[in-house]
Amino acid sequence: MFTPNIWVLRGIIAVFLISVVAASAGSFSIFQKSTFFVSGIAHSSLAGAALGIYISLYFFPINPFIMAMIFSVLFAVAIGIASHRKENIEVAIGIMFSFSMSLAILFLAMIKEYASVAWGLIIGDLLLLSSQDLIWMLITVALILLIFFTFRRKILFSIFDPEVAMVQGINPYLYETLLFILIALGVVVLLKGVGAILVYALLIVPAAAAKRIAGSFEGTIIYSFFISLISGLGGIFLSLFTSVVPSAYAGLIATFIYFLSLFRK
Amino acid sequence: MKEKIEVRGLEVRYDGYVALKNINFKIPHPSFLVIMGPNGAGKTTLLKALLGLIPYQGKIEILGKKPKEAREFIGYMPQRDKINTNIPLKVRDVLLMPLLSKRSFGIRKKDIKRAKEALKFVGLQHLWDKDFLSLSGGQQQRVFFARTLAMEPKVIILDEPFSAMDVATKMKVVQFLHRLKNSKTIILVTHDINPLAECTDNVLLLNRVVIAFGRVVDVIKEENIKNLYGAPIPIVKTENVCYLVGSDAHVHT
Ligand SMILES: Nc1ncnc2c1ncn2[C@@H]1O[C@H](COP(=O)(O)OP(=O)(O)OP(=O)(O)O)[C@@H](O)[C@H]1O
Ligand SMILES: [Mg+2]
Repeated sequence: MFTPNIWVLRGIIAVFLISVVAASAGSFSIFQKSTFFVSGIAHSSLAGAALGIYISLYFFPINPFIMAMIFSVLFAVAIGIASHRKENIEVAIGIMFSFSMSLAILFLAMIKEYASVAWGLIIGDLLLLSSQDLIWMLITVALILLIFFTFRRKILFSIFDPEVAMVQGINPYLYETLLFILIALGVVVLLKGVGAILVYALLIVPAAAAKRIAGSFEGTIIYSFFISLISGLGGIFLSLFTSVVPSAYAGLIATFIYFLSLFRK
Repeated sequence: MKEKIEVRGLEVRYDGYVALKNINFKIPHPSFLVIMGPNGAGKTTLLKALLGLIPYQGKIEILGKKPKEAREFIGYMPQRDKINTNIPLKVRDVLLMPLLSKRSFGIRKKDIKRAKEALKFVGLQHLWDKDFLSLSGGQQQRVFFARTLAMEPKVIILDEPFSAMDVATKMKVVQFLHRLKNSKTIILVTHDINPLAECTDNVLLLNRVVIAFGRVVDVIKEENIKNLYGAPIPIVKTENVCYLVGSDAHVHT
């Protein structure tokens, strides 16, 4: 019944990469209280990917992944600038959210004869990843890890105590924006595998549960990784027996773990 | 005065509102300066200008440097740390943060030693591994004070560091500051001069302009206090120091 094939193998590798993102970008979005930002980014990358598909269907070949990345990084920079200008960050995200969602609907409407393509962006499929998809995910995760390990201390200082960080020669707005970009890249990694709707489930929910369970900084990062891993692998496993995509199960498992974590303390 | 901190003709505006006007003073390094004034007098604003955190007009020189260049040897403890309470850090993480942020990888033994010594200094060495957010407000303030010391700055700028400390802790920190003042310049904002009257070299009374500046005995006078707070506050004179009666020179406007 269970036959490991190349699709399942790619799915498992993708889950592993997603868990790395959940541990780094996911934990820091929880620390920074920027979880709404994550949903905003998910929708802007959806708009980007939809535009990418439109362009490659009717004009010239372009990887939707790259368009998603451009859109979400632009979104991240815009929010970083708004934060610097002392705009209420929730308002700024809400505005960018509506803007990119409108664009997404527009682009998706233009490719409506390929409804399945659009549907794929919204719910994703961990078991339908091409090797090209996987390579893109791998490169992006490598970039995330590079940024994360090089700047994690400065980012932490900037989001914990921006005023003192500034006196210490750290520009908190710069590092906050860098964190936004880090999260944006993370969202793009998840988009292909779990779709725009469930990005939140595998990026934020594991970190939120991890913070409750671990109660420490390093613990949150480590537990996020494993909760995301268990959810993703569980999702793949369950979807092998049914016709439902893995992300649905993965989201359910992650939220279930979060509910369990509520009973702690 | 070779090494000094000098402010000349300082003016700070917030969207047209003049928060500080024509501020002039000069203190030697090392020395101890206490800044007092009613709420909204511009005390925090003055400290922020000294740190180059806000735009200003006029001249500020800190040991021969402009504020932004002087930051590397200044330790700053804000009034109410606008800290993010969503990050589950240990006390040691908070203490080490400024030291660690200078490098991407690894921890130097030297930095750990400095952080531990600073924590011991404020009498909280047993809390090294505790969750920072589980500490009381006063304990958190002491940790922030320790963090400022761990940076080993030449100039220490403290904005109401005692506001949440109990009397005993406050006295301990004051004694400590007293010992530091031979090697460091300390600039401290407080509403209560009493515990500091003996160890401070200069006092600056501020209410958008300089009301008075100089040695404690010369500055803490009835007329100055009346000018500062707009209400007379009784003063007790002992041999060479003056005290504002009670510990509440705390006047709310
Ligand atoms: N970012 C800002 N934008 C606009 N006005 C400000 C800003 N910061 C301070 N002010 C104004 O400048 C004045 C001085 O503020 P400041 O914080 O320096 O007072 P303070 O002497 O430190 O008062 P407190 O004793 O309450 O701490 C106040 O009237 C305040 O409303
Ligand atoms: Mg103040």
